[in-house]
Amino acid sequence: MPEQPFQPEGAGAVAGSGGTGGAMPWATSEAETLESPLSPRTATLKPSAPEDPGAPSASPERPRSLWSDAWRDLRRNPVFILSTLIIVFLVVISLWPSTIASGSPLKCDLAKAQQGSAPGHPFGYDGQGCDVYTRTVYGARTSVAVGVCATLGVAVLGSVLGALAGFFGGLWDSLLSRVTDVFFAIPVILGGLVLLSVVTSNSIWPVIGFIVLLGWPQISRIARGAVITAQQNDYVQAARALGASNSRILLRHIAPNAVAPVIVVATIALGTYIALEATLSYLGVGLKPPSVSWGIDISAASPYIRNAPHALLWPSGALAVTVLAFIMLGDAVRDALDPKLR
Amino acid sequence: MLLEVRDLQVEFRTRDGVVKAVNGVSYGVDAGETLAVLGESGSGKSVTAQAVMGILDMPPGRITGGEILFQGRDLLKLREDERRRLRGAEMAMIFQDALSSLNPVLTVGDQLGEMFVVHRGMSRKDARAKAVELMDRVRIPAAKERVKQYPHQFSGGMRQRIMIAMALALEPALIIADEPTTALDVTVQAQVMDLLAELRREYRMGLVLITHDLGVVADVADRIAVMYAGRIVESAPVHDIYKAPAHPYTKGLLESIPRLDHKGRELYAIKGLPPNLMNIPRGCAFHPRCPLAQDLCRTDVPPLYEVTGTDTTRHSACHFWRECLHG
Repeated sequence: MPEQPFQPEGAGAVAGSGGTGGAMPWATSEAETLESPLSPRTATLKPSAPEDPGAPSASPERPRSLWSDAWRDLRRNPVFILSTLIIVFLVVISLWPSTIASGSPLKCDLAKAQQGSAPGHPFGYDGQGCDVYTRTVYGARTSVAVGVCATLGVAVLGSVLGALAGFFGGLWDSLLSRVTDVFFAIPVILGGLVLLSVVTSNSIWPVIGFIVLLGWPQISRIARGAVITAQQNDYVQAARALGASNSRILLRHIAPNAVAPVIVVATIALGTYIALEATLSYLGVGLKPPSVSWGIDISAASPYIRNAPHALLWPSGALAVTVLAFIMLGDAVRDALDPKLR
Repeated sequence: MLLEVRDLQVEFRTRDGVVKAVNGVSYGVDAGETLAVLGESGSGKSVTAQAVMGILDMPPGRITGGEILFQGRDLLKLREDERRRLRGAEMAMIFQDALSSLNPVLTVGDQLGEMFVVHRGMSRKDARAKAVELMDRVRIPAAKERVKQYPHQFSGGMRQRIMIAMALALEPALIIADEPTTALDVTVQAQVMDLLAELRREYRMGLVLITHDLGVVADVADRIAVMYAGRIVESAPVHDIYKAPAHPYTKGLLESIPRLDHKGRELYAIKGLPPNLMNIPRGCAFHPRCPLAQDLCRTDVPPLYEVTGTDTTRHSACHFWRECLHG
């Protein structure tokens, strides 16, 4: 990640989330307030202390937290901006592909098979005479849908199981750890070839299901570790000492402090899931025609690479850029959420 | 008696062996009374407090014996959800390091208000108003604005006062303060202790003050219980202990306080190291470090003798308390 020149934007924008930096302006008021002869009864008739000179008046400093600090970092990070622009563009064309591609991806003309670019068909034609541009645009929909759905599934399943295992520990934890070990031992491609070859459905759901099945152990390990770390914090014990229930401790005190690593890993994983869908489709066990997917197109075009390289390069290029964008986003988010890098 | 701990025994089962952290501790606190529990690190004072609160990590911790009577009920016989309802409402705890005891991602208002949401079922808006009131109560200036701030935006003393406010929120009958001022600098220490003492008087709460700082105790406590190797070795009203300790360990502690009138002399230190709790010495646990130790101390565990000849109730777990008291 490129170094960011330090720009003092707002007052007191000194970085450092948990540090004492933010406390400094207030520290002076401590002595004043305590020295005043105090009767707690009058204290309820506030405000009397704030009239002191130097006591805090309406603070110009916005409350800072891990998230607001991270957001400020991200907004200035070119990697984040670039990847976000690409992702927004991808999401828009997956939702409304017809805005930039007027034709249908399934309308093909064999007479034009393997022809190069022509007016109105900038990317040329593939082996079946279909318009490569249209198919590449429509392929984004599958990729984004598979990536987003699989990531959501993995993140929800993995973090719930991992968090429960980390929080309650004991038998439940050992059991889950062994189960994740088993899933880690399944080779992804081999598993995909075996499991998906028996599926006949032509929708994206079997692929998503397969990715979730193999992907959740990764997130669950991260979530488990993050929960165990967060759980050892004194404020968790303090909350317990003040009568908070398990669910409240887990949801309100641990989860917000443990969610950052899960977000980071999930974002990076999104890119790899898109690549995995293309891989599976290439191998013929993911999506099948007439679905439109970059993997299918790459697979179909690869025998003709010497005659019609454009039919291979465009969907491959789109796939590479998409995966890169999500991985860059994940990277930027990781940097922003890591206070040690500030 | 508000809280009575009787012969409490706690051990931790670790990979290396069984750590006997608490070996038959008994103490009691009345409403409106302050008991200071004194001892070095590892003497079992915090573990006892955690057992009373019910926040001991189990496993590895295990309560192997004794009872904890709170308002006449044995806490160890209650169900977990009953104990949870007591925590915060009837008994509360203040921790040593207020920064790490406050959740960094929630505003102090949210955390203070949580007490009312959890125990009283208040709406968030009412809870917020209560939070402001509490912050006023512990004298945090501009409470209305600051209630929206995060813990790291407060100074150390203020954070500890917020912790005190959280503990006091529901006006519990008992407060356990586990080294509440250790992380603060000396001037702020005094302010926080004064605040705690004053609020305790006002609400007539029982206060168990855990500390290793004899200086903090003198002004605030009514009684002192000194712990060593998981036992109470001496308990007495605060002034008696300062005047004439009845246990050599207490004596050693008092002599190791730096004093202005002893300037230039070498500071006394109790020789030796605290015992390994996996292998507590036979007989009196203190005998390897004790200047008065004799053969009896190496073989017989001293019971908690009643110290006679004073007008107050005192106890000492030393075979030779008479020699210590008068020597």
